[in-house]
Formats: sequence, C-alpha cells, structure tokens
Amino acid sequence: MTLTNTGAAVELIDSFAVGHDKLWQGLGECGTWWSGPDRVAAIAEGRQALCCELCRTRSEVLSPMMVPGEHDSISQLSAPAIDLIHRLGTDPGRLSKSWASQIIDAMTEEAYVELVTVNCIQYVIDSFSRCLGLPLRELPQAGEGIPTRIRPDGVGDVGAWVSQSLDKSLANVSRAASLVPDTESLWRELVQMHYSRGPEFADLVWDRALSRPQVELLASTVSALNECFY
Amino acid sequence: MTNGDLLVRYAESAVRGDSDLPSVRKEVELAVGTHGLIEAAATVSAFEGLNRLADATGIQLDAGLADESADFRTALGLDSYSGAASTTSQGSPGRAADVMGIFR
Repeated sequence: MTLTNTGAAVELIDSFAVGHDKLWQGLGECGTWWSGPDRVAAIAEGRQALCCELCRTRSEVLSPMMVPGEHDSISQLSAPAIDLIHRLGTDPGRLSKSWASQIIDAMTEEAYVELVTVNCIQYVIDSFSRCLGLPLRELPQAGEGIPTRIRPDGVGDVGAWVSQSLDKSLANVSRAASLVPDTESLWRELVQMHYSRGPEFADLVWDRALSRPQVELLASTVSALNECFY
Repeated sequence: MTNGDLLVRYAESAVRGDSDLPSVRKEVELAVGTHGLIEAAATVSAFEGLNRLADATGIQLDAGLADESADFRTALGLDSYSGAASTTSQGSPGRAADVMGIFR
C-alpha cells in the first residue's frame, strides 16, 4: 500500500473497506436467479476475463465478432454466461442488442440482469483496489439456498434491452437493475458510497476532497475511454 | 480546472491498466492529498461499473439528458458509440435548470 497514512485518510479508506466487506459478502449470498456458488463462480470468472486471450485479441479488431473462439474460462458456468461476463468486463462499449438478445434467450432476462449486476459490483470493488494499489479481496463465501426466481411487480418495457421499473421517478441508469431488486440494492448502496451520496448528488458544490467538477471530469474520462454513450 | 490534466491521466492509466499507474497515483496523492486520491479512486471505479451496467442493459438517454447533450454529442463523436443505437430520441438542445432536471 502506497497511501500516506493520515488520520482522515485512514478513516475514509476504512469506511470503504467496511462498506465493501458487507457488499462483497452479499454478492456471495444466494440470489433470486443464481445460487451462491454460481455468483461466486461469476466473480472468479470476471477476474479471469482480464487474462483471456480471446478477449484480448477481440479488443484489437474492428468488431469482436470477427474473431471466433472460446474464452479462457475457469468456471463451470454455461457458455452464454461466460461470454456475458467476459464481454462485460473487457469490451463493454461494443455490446449490441442482438448479442444481448441471444444471451437473454439462453438464460432469461432476469438471470441476465442479475449476472450483469453481480459482475458490475465486483468490477467496481476490484477496480477501487487496483486504483489504490491494494490487493484484491479473496472470493466471498458462497451462501446456501435455492433461487426463488420471483419476478418483481411493476416492471416492463421502457425501451431498454431488458425490463425495468415502470416508475420514471428514477433516472434510467438508476433503474437499470430494477428487475432484480435484492441484488440491485447492493448496487445502489455501492454507487451511493462511491459517488452520489444521497441528496448531495443534486448539489453543484460538494464538500469533498475533490470538487464536483473534478469528480465529473474523472467520470467523463472513464466513460469516454469505455465508449459509454449514456 | 485545478489538477485537471493530472486527474485525466490518472483515470486513463487506471482504466487501461497502464504500467505507470503507481507513479501517476503518487503524483495525484501529492497534488490533491490522500483523501483526494481515495475520492478519485472511488469515482473511477464507480464509473467503470456504471458504464458497464448502462451498456449491458441498453438503457436509453433520459429525455433531459438527450436535450442536454443534443448540441454537442455529434461534435464529440459520442453518437458513433455503439450504445447510441439504444436511444431513439435525439432530444432538442437545451439546458436543465438543475442537476435532477437532467434525469427527467
């Protein structure tokens, strides 16, 4: 660890560590559409994607579909699940509706959204560690239980690739994972911790170590590098 | 913007996994303090996830966001991103009155 251990910084990083501890263990619990062992396998697969030769090769060509092949996988998850996890991790800016539809047909849209959300949470927590030069966490313990596979009420077609909450009081990105509310709650907690922090989000002036313009510059840079339109 | 160039270099190095990340991280810590570095890491990592969730679920721009960006998306090349195909309304150039208005 290279950080200077000032008191305030230690307190801040400890608060992230405590928050991440809770969310990380939550990722290992049985979900609504995937079991605990499946979700832990997805986290391991998400890390493996960064070492995948097929993903690396595809990242260098005009279209990822120009390069056939199999991912360097380390899990027993299905081929569509592995493809989803690898492409989400390594090439998110070139996902397409037709590709997503094929994955969804193979696993249901609810399972698709839960897997995406689990791996997005994993990516954020791992990225935070890499950004600070900290070691990655051990995989979470896999919880027991059987997925209930219960679809929530109040979701439907709002023009996205997957069903979402019909309540437009939320920004589209804030309801992106609303098809899987239990896992979505982990996601929302993470975003609150890292970025939006409740009502403060609506303020143009933030009382943080970085100003709001500095934070938004970082956010815009990341989004441009990932070629994220939203 | 104060330390803008340095923060952009930090985000670029972190997202790309560049070998200079440790040295850029030290520069950021010297410039904005340890607390600021942690905030920067929190922001970069949050948007690594937000970008992926938005792209994988194919969400459309909110109406306010489409209006807000209507007069510069093409100039910046954003309309050429793959995810642009998910949004059906181009929006009408305009500025929201406040932050939450962007997401209406």
